[in-house]
Amino acid sequence: MLRAVRQGLLLLALAALPAIGQAFYLRNKVSWESPIPASELVAVDQARAWGDSAIWIDARPDDEFARDHVPGAFSLNEDHWNELLAQFLPNWSPDKKVVVYCSAESCNAARDVAKRLRDEAQLKDVFVLQGGWEEWVKKNR
Amino acid sequence: MKTRILTFTLSILFAVAARAELKWEQNTIELHPSVGDKQAVAHFKYENTGAVPVHFKSVKASCGCTTTQTQKEIVNPGEKGEITATFNIGDRTGMQMKTVTVQTDDPNPTQATAILTLKANITPALEIKPLFVYWTSGEEPKPKKISLKAAKDFLAKNITIKSNSPNFESKLEPGKPGEWTIEVTPKDTSHPMATALLIQTDYPKEAPKSFYVNAQVTNPMPPQLLRAPASNPASPRPSPPSSPAAER
Repeated sequence: MLRAVRQGLLLLALAALPAIGQAFYLRNKVSWESPIPASELVAVDQARAWGDSAIWIDARPDDEFARDHVPGAFSLNEDHWNELLAQFLPNWSPDKKVVVYCSAESCNAARDVAKRLRDEAQLKDVFVLQGGWEEWVKKNR
Repeated sequence: MKTRILTFTLSILFAVAARAELKWEQNTIELHPSVGDKQAVAHFKYENTGAVPVHFKSVKASCGCTTTQTQKEIVNPGEKGEITATFNIGDRTGMQMKTVTVQTDDPNPTQATAILTLKANITPALEIKPLFVYWTSGEEPKPKKISLKAAKDFLAKNITIKSNSPNFESKLEPGKPGEWTIEVTPKDTSHPMATALLIQTDYPKEAPKSFYVNAQVTNPMPPQLLRAPASNPASPRPSPPSSPAAER
C-alpha cells in the first residue's frame, strides 16, 4: 500500500516537472493584461448601429489619426491626454455611448484610454471597439 | 549500421556545437522615472554564447510610444551588445508595460523570438480626482469638489486656477501641504455650457507645470433632439485656456 502511494507521488512529481520548467521559462512571456470583459467590448456593426448616440474616440498616435480615422472621431491618446481630453469632453453628454478604438485587436491603447475615461473622468458607457481601426476599415471599405 | 549510428551522433554533436544562442541579461526591466521625466530608457543587454553569428531579423515595439535601437545587425560569437528601448511617457500615468519583440535567425524557434518587457511606474505630478465634473440641464447648481494631491517629489507650494468661461465659479481651498480642493459651481444650469479650468502650479520654477480639469452643464435630452444647426451654440467647444507649459 505504502509502495503504491510512493509510486503515485513520484509519478505526480515527474508530471509536475515539465510544467514547472515551462512556467519558469515563459515567466516573462505570459500576457500581463487580462482580457477585456465582454461587457466593455462592442463590435463594429453594433457600434455603427448606435448612430449619433455614439461618440468615437481614436486612441492611436497623432500621425495615424491624421492619416485617417472614423468620420467624426475625436483624437484622444495618452501622449497628449490632458489637452485632448479638454477638447473632447464638451462634445460628450450623459446619454452618449463612447466607442474607443486603436489600431487592431492586439493594441492596448484603446483599453487604456477607455479605463482612464471611466476612472479619471468618471464617464459611463465607455466601450472598446473589437478589432479596432483594422476591423472598422474591413467593414467599411 | 555502425556507420549510420556514428553519422547520426556526429550530426547531433555538430548541430549542438554550431548552435546560435543569444543570451539576454534581463528580459524584463523595471524603471522608476521621476515626476516630470519625458522618457524612460531600458537597456536590454545580450551576448551571443553560441558558435555561429546571430542576425537580427526584426525588432518591434508593442506601442507607437516606444522606439527601439539596435547597435548592430549581426552579433558574432562571443560578442555583447544591447537593444535600447525608449518609452515616451507623454501624459501616461500608473504602471506601464511595453514589450519589444526581437526576431533573430536562430534555427531553434524557442530561441529565435525574445520578448523583452519594459515596465515603468509613472507617478502623476498632480493627482486630480475627478478630472471632470458635470451637471445636467435643470439640475440644481450645487458646487462639486475636485481634489488635488501633489506627488512627493513634485514640490508645488501654490497653485492658481484660470477658467475660460465666466459661467463657472471656482474656489480654491488649500489643505495639507501639497493638497488642495477646488469647488466648481455653474452660475446656472439652464443650458449646456462647458469650461476647461487651467491649474497653474509654481513648480518647477523654471517651467511651472499646468493641468486641466473640465466642468460642463450637459443636455440630458436624447441625441435626436440634440441635433441643432451648426450655428447653434447648444454645445460650445471651448478651447483650453492657453498655457505654453501645460503638461502634454
